Amino acid sequence: MKNWPWAILAPAVIFVLIGIFSPWIMTHDPAAQDYGALLQGPSGAHWLGTDYLGRDMFSRIIGGARTSLVAMAFVLMAALAIGVVIGSFAGYVGGKTELVLISVIDIALALPSLVIALALMGVFAGENFSWMSDYWKMIVALTLAWWANYARMSRAVVVAELQQPYIEAARVMGASHIWIFTRHILPHVLGLVVVYASADAGALVLAIATLSFLGLGVAPPTPEWGQMLVDGMSYIEENPALVIIPGLALTAVVVSFNLLGEAFALQKVPRAVRGRFLARKKAARAAEEAARKEVEA
Amino acid sequence: MQRMFMRRVGLALLLMLAATALTFWLVTAAPGNVAALIAERAAGAGADGEMIAKIADDLGLNDPLPVRYARWLGDALTGDFGVSLRTGKPMAEEFAERIPMTLALLAGGGVLALVLSLAMGIAGAASNGGIVDRVLHGLALVGASTPNFFFAAMLVIVFSVWLGMVPTFGVAGLTSWLLPWITIALFPASVLARVVRVNMQDTMSRPFATTGFAKGLTRSAVLLREALPNIAIPYMTTFGAQFTLMIIGAIVVERVFGLNGVGAFFIEAIRFRDFIGMQAILTLFVVFFVSINLLVDLLAMLADPRLRRPRKA
Repeated sequence: MKNWPWAILAPAVIFVLIGIFSPWIMTHDPAAQDYGALLQGPSGAHWLGTDYLGRDMFSRIIGGARTSLVAMAFVLMAALAIGVVIGSFAGYVGGKTELVLISVIDIALALPSLVIALALMGVFAGENFSWMSDYWKMIVALTLAWWANYARMSRAVVVAELQQPYIEAARVMGASHIWIFTRHILPHVLGLVVVYASADAGALVLAIATLSFLGLGVAPPTPEWGQMLVDGMSYIEENPALVIIPGLALTAVVVSFNLLGEAFALQKVPRAVRGRFLARKKAARAAEEAARKEVEA
Repeated sequence: MQRMFMRRVGLALLLMLAATALTFWLVTAAPGNVAALIAERAAGAGADGEMIAKIADDLGLNDPLPVRYARWLGDALTGDFGVSLRTGKPMAEEFAERIPMTLALLAGGGVLALVLSLAMGIAGAASNGGIVDRVLHGLALVGASTPNFFFAAMLVIVFSVWLGMVPTFGVAGLTSWLLPWITIALFPASVLARVVRVNMQDTMSRPFATTGFAKGLTRSAVLLREALPNIAIPYMTTFGAQFTLMIIGAIVVERVFGLNGVGAFFIEAIRFRDFIGMQAILTLFVVFFVSINLLVDLLAMLADPRLRRPRKA
C-alpha cells in the first residue's frame, strides 16, 4: 500500500461527497420550473444555465449525482451479497447442488446484463408491479441482471481455495464447515469481489444512465444525467450545453471509477487470483528494484 | 477432440433452450393479462370480458406454461415468432426488414474496432513507455469510460451542428454510416487496444522474443513476427465478448441516429409492452450471444491444444 496512488481516489471521493451532501450544495430546487428563464446560458443566478423548462442545470447535475450514487450503491451491495452467497455456496457444497446453481448462473449470463435489465424494466411496467416506484424498479432490475457475474467469480475463488492444503489441515483438526467457510474461504472471496466491484461501480453508473437515456429508468421529475442528456438532444442545435454538461459529468465519474479499479487491480488483488501477467509484472518490478539497489551499493 | 466439440455445441443448445424458456416465462407470465392488452389495442376502451376471454382462448393463453412454451418453441423453430402487438406485422417480417440494418451496424463497428485496436495496441507496444504509449493508454481509458450515447451526441454536435457535414438523423449513403460505426466501435476498440498492449508486453518478456533480438531482428520485426501471433487467443476471446456486447451499443446507436434496426424495435417493444415482440427479439439476442461465445470457444480449442483436453473437476 506504500506506493499506492492515493490521488486516484480523489475524483471518486468527490463524487461520493457531492452525492451525500447534494441538498446543501444545490442552489435551486432541481425540479422547479421557471418559464421566465428557458434555455439560458450560464449566469450569476444559474451557474450552468437552465434547461428547456427553466430548471437550474447546476442543481440538476448535483442532484443527479445523488440519484446515480444511491442507485449504484444499492445495486452493487445487493448484487454482491446475492452473488457471493449463491456462488460460494455452490462452490463449497459441490455435487448436484453446484451443478444446478452453475446452470442458473450460466442462464443468467446468456445475455448481456443491460439487455436483461431492459427486459425486466418492460416486465415491471405491468400492473402487477405498480406498487414499486420507477426508481426501485430500476434498482431491482439492475440487481437481478448484475448478480450472476459476482456469483460466477465467487464460485471460482471458492473452488480454487478449497484445493489448498491448509483447508484439509483445518478439517483434520476438526474445524466445522461454518468455521472453515467464514474464517478461511470468505475473506478470499470478498477480497477479490470487492476489488471487482470498485471497477464495476463505473459500469453501473453508466448502466443507470443508459436505462434513463433509453426512457426506461428513472422517471422525469427526479434529476438524472442520462435523462437530462436525452432531454437535451431535442435542443442540440440551439443549446448543445444541455447535452454536453451531463455527458461530461457522467464521463468524469466513470473515468474516475475505472482509474480506481485499475489501481486496485494492479496493487491489491489477493495472491490467489492474481493473473500471470500481474505476477510477472510485479516480479519484474521487484527485480528492477533489487538491481538498482545493487548498483547504488 | 470431436467429442469435446460436440459437448460444447450440445451445451450451447441447452443453454439457448433454458434461456428462452426463462425469458418466455418472464415476458408472458409476469405482466398479467396479455389477452386484455390485445383486446385493448384492438377495441380501445370498449374491450369487454367476453372479448378478452375469446382472445385468451384463441391464443391458448389458458393452457399451462410448459405447454405454451412448447407451442411457442415449435412455431419459432419453423420461423414463426408470432405477430407484434405494436406494429401488427408478423415478427418474421420485422426481422427480415431490421436484421440487415443491425448486422451492417455490427459488422462495420466490428471491423473498425479490430483495425483501431490492433493499430493502437501495436503502436503502444512499439513505443513502450514512451509518449505515444502513454497518450494511447489515456485515450483507451477515456474511450472505455465515455458513454456511447454521449459520444454519439458529441459527434452529432461537432459534425452535424457545427460543421454541417453529415445529416443529424437517419442514414443516407456511406458517410452517414460513419458516425454510427465510430460510436459503436469506441468501447470495444478501447478495451481491445488494452488487451493487445498488455499481452504484447507480456509476450515481449518471453525467451523467444529475446531469441528474436539475438538473431538480430529489429524491435518492430520481433513485435510483428514473434509477439503478434501469440496474442491471437486472448485477443480472439476478448473480441468475441466485446462483439456480443455490441448488442447494447446497437440498441443505443440505433436510437440516437434513428436507425430502424432490431435494437430500436426492442426498446419500442418494451415501452409499448409488446410482449410477443420482446420475446422474439430476446430469442434473437440469446441465439446471437450464445453462438458467438460458442464460436470463440471452438476457435480457441482449435488454436490451443491445451483447451481440448477435458478439464478436471
